[in-house]
Amino acid sequence: MSSLYPLIDPTISDDAATPGTLRPRELEAVYAISSAVAQSVDIDNALDEIINLARPVFIFDNMVLYLKKEGDFLEPMYARVIGRGRTAEAELAWGGVIANDVFGTGDTQVQLEKLEDWENNRLSYRLLLGLPLRSATGKMGALVFGRFGGPAYSPDQVNLAGFIAAHISQLLVRQQLVERIANLEAERRLQQLQDNFIATISHELCTPLGFIKGYATTLLREDTSWEEGDRKEFLTIIDEETDRLRDLIDNMLDSSRLQAGTLKMRFQHLPLNELLTEACARASSRFRDVNLHFSPSEKVIVQCDPLRFVQVFDNLVSNAIKYAPGSPIFISMKSDGQESQTTIRDEGPGIPEEHLDHLFERFYRVPDSNSNIHGTGLGLYICREIIAAHGGKMTVESRVNEGTSFHIFLPVVPQEDKYDEHRGDLS
Amino acid sequence: MNERILIVDDEPRYVRLMEANLITEGYQVLKAYDGQQAVNAVVDQKPDLVLLDLMMPVLDGFGACERIRGFSDVPIIIITAKGEEQSRVRGLDLGADDYIVKPFSATELLARVRAVLRRSKKAVITSKEAIFRHGSLTIDFARAEVFVDGKMVYLSATEYRLLLQLAHNLGKVLPSEQLLVDVWGPEYSEDKEILWVSISRLRQKLEVDAKDPRHIVTRSGLGYVMPVL
Repeated sequence: MSSLYPLIDPTISDDAATPGTLRPRELEAVYAISSAVAQSVDIDNALDEIINLARPVFIFDNMVLYLKKEGDFLEPMYARVIGRGRTAEAELAWGGVIANDVFGTGDTQVQLEKLEDWENNRLSYRLLLGLPLRSATGKMGALVFGRFGGPAYSPDQVNLAGFIAAHISQLLVRQQLVERIANLEAERRLQQLQDNFIATISHELCTPLGFIKGYATTLLREDTSWEEGDRKEFLTIIDEETDRLRDLIDNMLDSSRLQAGTLKMRFQHLPLNELLTEACARASSRFRDVNLHFSPSEKVIVQCDPLRFVQVFDNLVSNAIKYAPGSPIFISMKSDGQESQTTIRDEGPGIPEEHLDHLFERFYRVPDSNSNIHGTGLGLYICREIIAAHGGKMTVESRVNEGTSFHIFLPVVPQEDKYDEHRGDLS
Repeated sequence: MNERILIVDDEPRYVRLMEANLITEGYQVLKAYDGQQAVNAVVDQKPDLVLLDLMMPVLDGFGACERIRGFSDVPIIIITAKGEEQSRVRGLDLGADDYIVKPFSATELLARVRAVLRRSKKAVITSKEAIFRHGSLTIDFARAEVFVDGKMVYLSATEYRLLLQLAHNLGKVLPSEQLLVDVWGPEYSEDKEILWVSISRLRQKLEVDAKDPRHIVTRSGLGYVMPVL
């Protein structure tokens, strides 16, 4: 293998500067690269900027950054083809061999690669400069520069490339730290939510249990006798609290099934307008004193599991009753033929904007809400997941002191599709 | 007779539960639904006993307990949830006399109420000599008042009874079990936690340096003693 140029030629230099000393132009680039690294937020942008800053003082046609993956396997993470190589698509394999060598030995290397027609095609005559990337804790990968058809790398340029490699290593270390911090932060947040959830759920489970225990033992007292009215009152409380406990357990089971993706849906084609009429009628009888206004629209067919849809509806109505006590509740629906929109709106105190993004998150509860209001942070998560399983979505709009609207969007089944005329009773 | 009991809980169903049971025993019932109402009710109506829930809006049970103790030694039973040992200790630390853990049975509630009322009554009638002195500590048995360096110190009924036991047995080491039975009642003989909290609270009120106590001294493995000076 003969070479046109020596791989590193101390005599070749753009001007007559002494090897080993940086000229003002290079010095300027070095400062600029340093400060770009120090200020970078995003690694891809920082690499782009380093390339822009290095190019005027250090000619190269491509640059590939290889990072260590599991099992010391190198993977290209970033590649740029500039100048003369641009016509050829970025072939990342160009630097694969030298990257592995450099990574293995830990030494900077220069290699010459001559492909078949190298004498006629400059792109087949490749001078590769490989530099190891290291952190304080070990090897991170390799940085490869490629030049087509020469000239050879001068010692100054190798030094400069080493400086760039060191800065890129630093950038990567920082990037890894940032990622780890973000992961830890996310884990901590989830842990916090789960801790709060456990405290909430134990409180929510213990409250009905405490009533059941208390009123049952009251009725069991042998040293006193209760009047019929009292007995009935106590038994009603036991009955209602048992229901509350069951709802709570159902919610927890639904939530974990949704999380695991094992909640079964029984879809049918149903007229949404009728479904809502029935759900409103039932909600009015179930929640006494509720001021429910429903404005039905024309027939809209949707594909849905009626039990689950009503569960979502009931949850939103009971939320409105809980968090917007005394406010009328307006139910409306509309459709553009593609998508139906059901809205449940109250004129209650509203939800501060900063909580809206988190409202549908599992375990999330708006802080400072009245401690007397029972809730687990599961209800809206369950609603959103059920609607998502229908191919729809849920959104919320709220203004403090004006009220809150929840919107349920469900895809509309085209009119020619017949729905089940003889569907069973919704309840 | 006809002691008046203030029930404080933000859950109306708990208030009703306690009320229904207490009425059958001949107690009069007063009600409050948050800590602030509780403090006001103690000021205005001077109940004989307070049943105080800890988790409440406006002013929670801890805050209420602390404020009540600022001006009254009415016996307080705090109501905590299972698994909240921390808050139980904190409540006792703030001067509560006893606690009930939710969920509780009707008979458990009535037994605790009876025990605490019994303790608070005995405390007032115990008096042998008019005045007892122990260093900087003075106990006026007739008035059931305690002074440190001439300044009056508020003690809860239980704390006062515990102090009396030690003072009446000057120089004698009293085992924990005996103190628990004598001060709290036979059903408390195992409840060392409540004794520790009360002792440490008494020391904070009576001792110059609670870490180097002069009036109430621990005899490791034996019990507590008020030493002869």
